[in-house]
Amino acid sequence: MISDRTRTSLEREIRSNTVATIGVALLLSMLLMAVFAPVLAPHDPTDQDSSRNHQPPLFFGGEESETTRMIDGEIRTVTESNAGTLAHPLGTDSNGRDVLSRTIYGARTSIIVAFSAMAVSLVVGTTVGMVSGYYAGRTDSVLMRFVDIVLAFPALLITLAMIGILGNITVTVPDPLVASGLVSDRPTHAVIPVTITLAISSVVWVWIARVARGEAIAAKNEEYVMAARTMGMSNLGIIRKHVLPNSITPILVLATIQVASIIIIESSLSFLGFSGTTLSWGYDIAAGRDYLATSWWLSTVPGLFIVVTVVGINLLGDLLRDALDPGIQRGGL
Amino acid sequence: MKDELVFLGRRLAQGVVVVWGVVTTVFLFRVISPTNPAQLMAPDDATPELIQQIEQDLGLTEPVLNQYVYYLSGVLQGDLGFSYMTNTPVLRRIMFALPGTLELAAAALVFAVLASIPLGILSAMYRGSRIDSTSNLVSLGGVSTPNFWLAIMMVLLVSVQLGVLPTSGRPIGLVDALTLLVFQADPNGLTSWVAHMILPTIALGTYFMALLFRLTRNGVLEELGKEYVLAARGKGLPESLLMYRYVLRNSLTPVVTVTGLQLGGLIGGSVVVESVFAWPGLGTLFIRSLNVSDWPMMQGILILVGAGYVLTNITVDFVNAKLNPQVELA
Repeated sequence: MISDRTRTSLEREIRSNTVATIGVALLLSMLLMAVFAPVLAPHDPTDQDSSRNHQPPLFFGGEESETTRMIDGEIRTVTESNAGTLAHPLGTDSNGRDVLSRTIYGARTSIIVAFSAMAVSLVVGTTVGMVSGYYAGRTDSVLMRFVDIVLAFPALLITLAMIGILGNITVTVPDPLVASGLVSDRPTHAVIPVTITLAISSVVWVWIARVARGEAIAAKNEEYVMAARTMGMSNLGIIRKHVLPNSITPILVLATIQVASIIIIESSLSFLGFSGTTLSWGYDIAAGRDYLATSWWLSTVPGLFIVVTVVGINLLGDLLRDALDPGIQRGGL
Repeated sequence: MKDELVFLGRRLAQGVVVVWGVVTTVFLFRVISPTNPAQLMAPDDATPELIQQIEQDLGLTEPVLNQYVYYLSGVLQGDLGFSYMTNTPVLRRIMFALPGTLELAAAALVFAVLASIPLGILSAMYRGSRIDSTSNLVSLGGVSTPNFWLAIMMVLLVSVQLGVLPTSGRPIGLVDALTLLVFQADPNGLTSWVAHMILPTIALGTYFMALLFRLTRNGVLEELGKEYVLAARGKGLPESLLMYRYVLRNSLTPVVTVTGLQLGGLIGGSVVVESVFAWPGLGTLFIRSLNVSDWPMMQGILILVGAGYVLTNITVDFVNAKLNPQVELA
């Protein structure tokens, strides 16, 4: 699907651009983290233990304080040091759950939503854009008015409205790594937030459709398309054989860049409590707000992971854009 | 002049079609949503007869097409219906929340424009300098940071650690603050307004600032590479005149366009920022309505924001055409 020339220019760009390479590396590590979460997470992310709650990250804390604890059925006052430990390098939350493990698992939610929402949007958006651009005329104006209507709403408001319509749909699937017996003591099932995936797709397909349409218009006036038409090739055949393959690169570049927006929308929805799963970066940031004054790391850590992921995507997007220069503009939230 | 009127007329006609589409979409949202408002409004121990009575009062037993006609004609007369929860007129409630969001969005816009455009110009003029690389790094961070997390981090740093600036609420609106200042010579209202605005404004405006910075920098760089710049320099045109009269003017077109396009984004972004700062605006109202399936309220907000966006974009196109004669009025 990618031509040799494209590949050469991509390779040249990657070799000459260290910053972008860093971006790709960041992104890859996030992907690996999401896929292998059960193996990489040092603890069960849902394992609660109030005797070790609010532990600060490694190298932080260290003050001794007196607290009351239930020990052997008795309430006793004990002196405890709250120094961070290697067992919980990024600290623990208000229920004593390991922040590092929760953050590693949180990557899964963001990555699953980002990939599936983008897949849905690519299929719908490319189809609509191709049809609209190729057939032009009335089909085009009807479809594009529809696109205008969707664009008139802020993306976040329309995803929220879709959540109101769809309710809270989640699909629980067995975690393959746990099911295969590779690791135990980890959650056996993963929650896929279907509602927010669909809600996000309901906006993102429009961004794809606009670019796909532009590409289809440009491609359809090329000589080889006219030749194919003269030879009696069907319209759908032309779209599939000629227009789509020649438009796909810029569409995929835009899709890569827009994954950044999807992750930010996803984390916003999770933050507002609509993701339907408690293992997500946005959810943990929201939960940490109640303890800002005492446990700063709770909201800080998951947010840093969001920023790193999105920086990675943006650097990759810049790289692709410089390499292929399809002349596209960044969309927005 | 005639061209301009034709242009405005055509854009407005297109805009009307889109706004009609917005109203229709929003109506359909309510129709396909699974909640039964009668169930929501009725007391817990309501009999089926009572629920049916409420459905009838709400007009929900009518055919959908009739409901649509009622809704559309209501909207045309500025009647957005009544809240399912409080039974107050939706429009009144929205008008009450609107200033909070508008003040925030406007402040974020001003902050973003004032910070990004000068920096973008400097970065482009001194390409590769320390100013340029620092600004690029900051803008990469800006477009990559979710606004709600930035908000929380600022609260953590500024309010919790340093103990300055309030963390939430909007005790006084701008109009009241100014009234207090002008008629009673009391500056406390305005001080409080400013103090409560600072963190939400930065949280909401940063992404936008980073975006505008990139656009400005790229626009100016592209413009500086054009031949007329070389020619103008060659004939000894003062650099400042060249920059202000020609380069900036030509490179700001995409900046104006994106500013217009992003206004919707600012309103959308303010949903989350408002929730962090317990800010009484449209976003807070929308989330609260969503949690109780108060569709008339959500519909009203969506229509208002959608129509506002369409109008803004027509204005932006017009401003652009005025600013840059190369953009045709078509």
